[in-house]
Amino acid sequence: MLTGENIVQSVAGLLNWVYSQLGISALAGFINPIISSVVMFGFISVFVMFLVWMERKVSAHMQSRIGPNRVGPFGLLQTVADAIKLTTKEDVKPVNRDKIPYYIAPIIAFVATFMGMVVIPFDKGMVVQDLNVGILYIIAITGFTVIAILTAGWSSNNKFALLGGFRSAAQIISYEVPLVLSVVPIIMITGTLSLTGIVEYQEKAGYWFIFPQIVAFLIFITSATAEANRAPFDIPEAESELIGGFHTEYSGVKFAMFFLGEYIAVVVSSAVAVTLFLGGWLPVAFLGFLHLPGFIWFMIKLVSVIYVVMAFRWTFPRLRVDQLMDFGWKVLIPFSILNILVTAAVWLFLYGKGAQ
Amino acid sequence: MTDLLLSQVKVGGESQFGTDEYVVNLGPQHPATHGVLRLIVKLDGETVKETMPVLGYLHRSIEKICENRTYPQCITYTDRIDYVSAMSVNLAFALATEKLMNIEAPARAQWLRMIFVELQRLASHLLWMGAFAGDIGALTPFLYGLRERERILDLFEMTCGQRLTYNYIRIGGVMIDILPEFVPKCRAFLDYFEPKVDEYEDLLTYNPIFLERTKGVGIIAPEVGINAGVCGPSLRGSGIACDVRKQQPYLYYDQMKFNECIETAGDCWSRYKVRMNEMRESVSIIRQCLERLEPGSFEAKMPPVLKAPVGSEIYSRIESSRGEMGVYLVGDGTAKPWKSKYRCASFSNLYVLDQLTKGWKVADIMAVLGSLDMIVPEVDR
Amino acid sequence: MTNEELKSKIEVDFKDEILSAVISAQKEAIITVAPDRYVALCQKLHDKGEYFFNHLSSLTAVDYPKENKITVVSHLWSYKHFHQVTIKVDADRNNPKVPTLENVWKSANWFEREVFDLYGVVFEGHSDLRRIMMPDDYKKFPLRKDFADDGFIVKPS
Repeated sequence: MLTGENIVQSVAGLLNWVYSQLGISALAGFINPIISSVVMFGFISVFVMFLVWMERKVSAHMQSRIGPNRVGPFGLLQTVADAIKLTTKEDVKPVNRDKIPYYIAPIIAFVATFMGMVVIPFDKGMVVQDLNVGILYIIAITGFTVIAILTAGWSSNNKFALLGGFRSAAQIISYEVPLVLSVVPIIMITGTLSLTGIVEYQEKAGYWFIFPQIVAFLIFITSATAEANRAPFDIPEAESELIGGFHTEYSGVKFAMFFLGEYIAVVVSSAVAVTLFLGGWLPVAFLGFLHLPGFIWFMIKLVSVIYVVMAFRWTFPRLRVDQLMDFGWKVLIPFSILNILVTAAVWLFLYGKGAQ
Repeated sequence: MTDLLLSQVKVGGESQFGTDEYVVNLGPQHPATHGVLRLIVKLDGETVKETMPVLGYLHRSIEKICENRTYPQCITYTDRIDYVSAMSVNLAFALATEKLMNIEAPARAQWLRMIFVELQRLASHLLWMGAFAGDIGALTPFLYGLRERERILDLFEMTCGQRLTYNYIRIGGVMIDILPEFVPKCRAFLDYFEPKVDEYEDLLTYNPIFLERTKGVGIIAPEVGINAGVCGPSLRGSGIACDVRKQQPYLYYDQMKFNECIETAGDCWSRYKVRMNEMRESVSIIRQCLERLEPGSFEAKMPPVLKAPVGSEIYSRIESSRGEMGVYLVGDGTAKPWKSKYRCASFSNLYVLDQLTKGWKVADIMAVLGSLDMIVPEVDR
Repeated sequence: MTNEELKSKIEVDFKDEILSAVISAQKEAIITVAPDRYVALCQKLHDKGEYFFNHLSSLTAVDYPKENKITVVSHLWSYKHFHQVTIKVDADRNNPKVPTLENVWKSANWFEREVFDLYGVVFEGHSDLRRIMMPDDYKKFPLRKDFADDGFIVKPS
């Protein structure tokens, strides 16, 4: 049967053969991660283009419009056309910008979120780098986006951008806390930080963590939406208030990188949600007769979660900045802490001291 | 940077660092100001300390131009005063001129005027609902509002050929009679539209985030509102009955059965709710008008050149989509008005903005501004 | 109250304060008042229960160059009694000065700024008398009848 593991192994075999022909087998440990990263980069670029198209179609559907339908079949190439437009258009820069941070910000925004993809297991063994501290790594690396946004807001020398940057800093720091706390129960149960390990635990246990941990799932999805600066938590770029927020002064490729970064952040957080709560590459129990490969299951789940996140955006109004903070600190954090305590108590009660 | 910070250290002062006001120019080009309104906002962090509207970016001196045009020519300019609700302004000017010259429009024309003005109110409120929701961050209702508005504009286009500036309601009647298929089409639209209002309310009215953003925000106290000249749906949200259609009936509004929509809280949500309810009332008014529409002439017999007597003057008010719309005309015996003044609801409503937003957050400026249903050409004229 | 009744009642109640009270051909009650009694009259019309003009519907001015005067016209409306009255006060065209109504109706603030901007009428005691529509450095008063600017020249009629 076709599985992710088979594919990875056959590709690795092919690569090893090439190395041996070229006589550089010693360098395999160095070249392999580079190749897999590049593959991942290509995949994520195409996938994000698909997502942008999907978002347009979803929003069009919700707003009783048609959406893009001119370029390519079903308008699928519309995003490609837009990407070409963005890369070829004039790069307008404010005169009094802070030069170096202004250039660095979009790069950080893009790279930081993209690096999160590196530890996501698409299937058993189908992962760029299976870190044993995977979750910790993802939380740490995606936290970098706040630096990018704050830098962008400051260096643009624009009052709206600065306001957006500050809002974003407050928001991401506030929502990082419930995000981490909502993951803690899973780590307590499984006893591992590795994403692959967590999925394997779910396979062994026979249930997905969304069932015992529905509260954690809701908190995670909410905080992840806020982390990705998406509506209803899009106050850093609130277009009716701050025009474009931190990316007001960015155009062309630099804007495209922010844009790409935002979508990759959505992919990363949804992928983590799928891995932690929805059983990663495991098949859906009542559809198990389909015998699809694991990575297809993973993609199906991923797109479904992303669809939910998109539906949020086109249904809800935007929260105000103080309400956002209230919601984060007064609702999400207490509930996530409570969730940790309850989970711990129940696990202690069920399995006694010798759990694990 | 360090020098800047050090320079602000007050030796022996209470606070170590002095803070400056953060002055932001919202507009004249800004997505939330619906045109070219400019707001100078002084901020303390996110908190608004002062909002100063700066008007005049769309001042086209329509009042001066009207002094140099004949009365029928002025109608064309009134379209541009409030392009979202052009029929209402047409009507306001036509009624004022008719009173000035003692012209009586025939009954059919009056019914047609009522139908079109109420349809226009629906169109205007629909656009407002979308823009208001957009200001708060919900982008979907805008498209829903436009979808229905499109069908109203189709009805207008079918009748007078225009979709935005109609020039339809004329002195002594209307431009042209409706087509025979107008009445069934209008009825079909009303049947289609009425459930849609409930649909919008399902989407927005009790949405928790929408409630959070609008409940208790920008409260206009009734006395403050009256004294500051707030009018129309914005004042009715504060519990004051101020509908000109009820208080000083024009056309055949005294024969219509409809409720004046009043909410008491005075916040953005109340103003929203008033307008949503008004849409339902408008639908019922149009139904009654279609019922009573009688055959006959659509324009009065009038002299070829319309002249107002020397020293005549009139101040005539109607309830436009945004509130009280007054037209003050002074005649001097010629075919041109000596003086024309348009009293527009947006102008007087905008005055309270500073009081409503003081101490609130930046985002509330957009919520309050949206809920006042301001339109810039009406402010600047 | 009909406009006739209103006019007669005002004529009786304020006979010392008004200059004239007429019913126009269009059946509107029009009260003319001297500038020094203007605010006091408006305050009474605003406060007194039987008048209760709580709404300043409009405030504007009309230019009469032949009579060398600018008339400030305000239209009052009562949300309680549903009646309307027009108050007129004349100002010298060369040096137009009228006391402000801002302390009676807050809404007069912007209406008076507009009249100041377009007619050059100075409202004494106004808290914030600046131009509202024209640029701040503009020198002329566009709604006056003798206004002429480059590209906008009024033909004498």
